[in-house]
Amino acid sequence: MTPLDLSAVHCTGIRKHFGEDDARVEVLRGVDYTVRRGELSFLVGPSGCGKTTLISVIAGLLETSSGEVSLFGNHLARMPHSDRVLFRRSHLGFVFQQYNLLQALTAAENAAIPLLAAGVRRREAVDRAAALLDRLGLGSRTGAYPRQLSGGQQQRVALARALVHEPRLIICDEPTAALDHATGEAVMELLASAAVHPDRAVLVVTHDSRVFRFADVIAHMDDGQITHVEPRQRTDTATHLGSSRLTKLSA
Amino acid sequence: MNWVGLQMLRNDRAKFAAMIVAVSLAVFLMQNQAAILATMLSMTAAQIRDVQDADLWVTEPEVECFDQVKAMRDIHLLRVRGIAGIAWAAPLLKIDAIGHSEGGRLNTVTVLGIDDASLAGLPHQMRVGRADAIRELDTAIIDPGGHELFFPGEPFQAGRSLRIRDRRIRIMGISDIAAPFTGLPMLHTSRSTAAALNLGEQHMTSFILARSAPGSRPEVLCQKINALGGLRARTTEQFAADAMWFYGSQGVPMLFMITITIGLIVGAAITGQTFLMFIKENARPLSMLKVVGTTDRQLGTMILLQGTVVLVLGSCFGSGIAAAVCNAIRTQPFLRSLYLPWEIALGTCLALASVTGIALYASYRHVRGLEPAAVFR
Repeated sequence: MTPLDLSAVHCTGIRKHFGEDDARVEVLRGVDYTVRRGELSFLVGPSGCGKTTLISVIAGLLETSSGEVSLFGNHLARMPHSDRVLFRRSHLGFVFQQYNLLQALTAAENAAIPLLAAGVRRREAVDRAAALLDRLGLGSRTGAYPRQLSGGQQQRVALARALVHEPRLIICDEPTAALDHATGEAVMELLASAAVHPDRAVLVVTHDSRVFRFADVIAHMDDGQITHVEPRQRTDTATHLGSSRLTKLSA
Repeated sequence: MNWVGLQMLRNDRAKFAAMIVAVSLAVFLMQNQAAILATMLSMTAAQIRDVQDADLWVTEPEVECFDQVKAMRDIHLLRVRGIAGIAWAAPLLKIDAIGHSEGGRLNTVTVLGIDDASLAGLPHQMRVGRADAIRELDTAIIDPGGHELFFPGEPFQAGRSLRIRDRRIRIMGISDIAAPFTGLPMLHTSRSTAAALNLGEQHMTSFILARSAPGSRPEVLCQKINALGGLRARTTEQFAADAMWFYGSQGVPMLFMITITIGLIVGAAITGQTFLMFIKENARPLSMLKVVGTTDRQLGTMILLQGTVVLVLGSCFGSGIAAAVCNAIRTQPFLRSLYLPWEIALGTCLALASVTGIALYASYRHVRGLEPAAVFR
């Protein structure tokens, strides 16, 4: 297998600017970045360094000014817009800093959204989402609305939404930023145990150094460039540790 | 995903309710005003359409509607009767006079003198009594509005009397004719009685009612009568249409149309603005949906469904209120002809839907233009 075959994300020479002429801002300045399959990769750096822009480009939400992005060998930029949307729906899962749960839906219904978008029947989608929530330690809260859940519980629902359709790449944007330390650690443990899979990659954008120990690789970014990549030995242990800890925290 | 859209709509109760109320009020206002206009126009032709046994009306050439009376010479009746294809022709005398009730109430009344022999033009529907009781001299039947005007609050019953031009006219029954446009009490009497009330006049015919014989087309008979010269013949529907056009061209419909248009614009503006606000306030959840792979087509269908639910619910409530108000008003004897045609109910709802559709399209454009990456900020 070539290195490209092993990669989940492969970016070469990514450049991205916003505005033109005097208002032109160069956000990404030739980013080369690879995330391998089975890896929990962290993208870290100070605010405004281009992390969010880079993951938006990787997810196909923003066009690059130049350079190429390949996800599992597929070049998003070469796909028509509609195919890109369908690719994202099938192969990508997202966890956001602010959870972005729909207040009108229960936990199970929120987690089922990617399945509903894919055309799965509502009952089947919600049942599958509820089963996943059960595995994530929220089995008793599947019918609760977001306003009835703690921050950690909401982030677990968001995690379930990112996993329910079994995507190959999960992109997490500051998943612990809105949580206290203990809850943030528990969420990361859960992410490490539930999301990492030999054919799946997890890309986490964060600047929460307290959770760096969960990373297989940490890519440091500054001023629109990857400055260095640091391989790590992941130190999380248990598979259900995060779940049990979150349950205790919720209690 | 449509279900998700409906849940989002339901969850924002304040805007959901505001949009339904706006649509309901707009639909009610438009339907109410349009119903009043339609009723008024139909009332201008009500006395023509109430005559069901004749299918031809013959008048002097200048006459445009039922309320314009120009006395006809009796010879005209014979000329009409002489046309091949006319089964029968009968005179109808219309006069206005002042009536006094026993209780001292006074009002102008319209007296319709019906041919004594044939009783052509006699009301077919009666609330109280029998119509053919007017064969007797100095008797009449009165419409419900007229009864209410002369005998307010009293139950409908025969046996009362009115004094008209020094003659005592006994009321033999209450007819169930449509309310007249003029609002004047309608008295149906025999032509002999009406003529007795019309002393001093030379001619005792205002209209000639005629019936086409089986196998004869009324339109063709009209042409034959018109060819005689000095007469104008129309079918019942042509005469009714002429009457409605005569009154309708005098500006009143324009005033109603202004109100209806205001209702349409205000209702659509409030609904559209609130809907657009609802979509803009849900920009972040909608961006999230785009990020997780919801297509523009799915989002467009969601928006269309949300808008349709608002419009259908609002239209149902608005139409229901308009129908209920219409029914409540109809209990008044003078307003008994008020009606809400289904064409108006449907037309107003479609008009509002068309204008609100612009807002739905604008909302869809807004969602299409949403930057999904914004959800990371």
